[in-house]
Amino acid sequence: MSVYFQIEEYHRPRDLAQAVEILSRLGKKARVIAGGTDILPLRPGVRENDSIRHLVDISKLDLNYLKKENDQIRIGAATNINTICTSPLFLSGPYRALAEAADSHSTTTIKNRATVGGNLCNASACADLTLPLLVLDAILVAAGPKGEREIPIESFFKGANYMALDPAEVLLEIRIPRCPQKAGTAFVKLRRHQTAIDMAIVNTATFITCNKGHCEAARIALGAVAPIAFRSKKAESVLAGAELSEETIQKAAATAAEEARPIDDLRATAAYRKKMVRVLVRRSLETSMRRCRS
Amino acid sequence: MTQIDIKIQVNGLWHELAVDPGDRLVDVLRDRLNLTGTKEGCGEGECGACTVNLNGQAVLSCLMLAVQADNCTILTIEGLQKGSELHPLQKAFISEAALQCGYCTPGMIMAANSLINNESEVTGSMIRQHLSNNLCRCTGYDRPVKAVLKAAKMVSKTMPEAGKPPV
Repeated sequence: MSVYFQIEEYHRPRDLAQAVEILSRLGKKARVIAGGTDILPLRPGVRENDSIRHLVDISKLDLNYLKKENDQIRIGAATNINTICTSPLFLSGPYRALAEAADSHSTTTIKNRATVGGNLCNASACADLTLPLLVLDAILVAAGPKGEREIPIESFFKGANYMALDPAEVLLEIRIPRCPQKAGTAFVKLRRHQTAIDMAIVNTATFITCNKGHCEAARIALGAVAPIAFRSKKAESVLAGAELSEETIQKAAATAAEEARPIDDLRATAAYRKKMVRVLVRRSLETSMRRCRS
Repeated sequence: MTQIDIKIQVNGLWHELAVDPGDRLVDVLRDRLNLTGTKEGCGEGECGACTVNLNGQAVLSCLMLAVQADNCTILTIEGLQKGSELHPLQKAFISEAALQCGYCTPGMIMAANSLINNESEVTGSMIRQHLSNNLCRCTGYDRPVKAVLKAAKMVSKTMPEAGKPPV
């Protein structure tokens, strides 16, 4: 009946084994669906839904959870983004950047359905949750026909809307490993002001640990300025071991802008994006520094 | 194409339906159940005209397949009033003149309904944030915000159970 979104079959596997079996059989014709907020707009007239003929719903796989065990945080892939916004787990310490990214992701109405795993698996370079998870060195746990495997988030993204999972694999969990609780983190995003839904022009997350005015370690992730979100390692090395002065922060921000490889698109020009990387990274580092406990 | 049997509770009534896998919730509400109070605007999650409550939470019925609502409880604008008595939100939208063409109103009211049901106290900024997925192209937002504030006060006076999640 619907002329809007046409697929041949909707699969509702009871458990992981059945989900993997269906995905292995259908290969690239199938796509995993959780909340569906990135998939439903893929239709003729809005955005091309090129090859999806089957949807595999993972809502019965019990992947909607948040757990803290031995200083490690485990987020089920189908946990909705509003759960991250409202959980006390992310209100303090090094996890604040994650709460900030979840807050700015979109509106409450969309965040009630959109999931953490969906934000990652869609592999958009501007996906907000990617950036705090990059600076927190998250580990992604996936399962497929050969069993489970762990993928460090830095090697998860392969290109624009293209990530490391095999078509028969399902993302199960996002693990945030134990990290120094004294670290300060922040997430900063630039978007057009008229809407709470539009994607980022530039977004960034930063992580700093410091001791007596010196930076011990720094991590900087940049979004929307390359085909994938990435860690700006050159900018990080400017900070590591250095005194945390205005000058070093300015230098790190400028280095991050040099590392950015943005393009012109309908949201902004490449030149503007590069300038904004410098501004956003500086602001994010300043906030992270303030939040740092030495 | 393989049809799927689903069971959904809409405005208090259970419906058993066979749906196409690509049918969105908004299609089923409007075309199968004739609940045309829920509007479709953009069809891609930007405008909020299709907002309904799913298990007490505001969701976009254009960004959700009907099959995803299987075994869920849905409330649409038609289910808000009790008999001939309008819901406080509906009354407040009228008394505050919070609508002109009215196309965005059902979505706005349903978004507001989940907010006032889930929060014991609401403020203007909470309303603005919560309604940020609902675009209005004629009245603007000041009057709807006033209307929701007024309705929230009425609800907390007349319905002490508000603020508790629906069963």
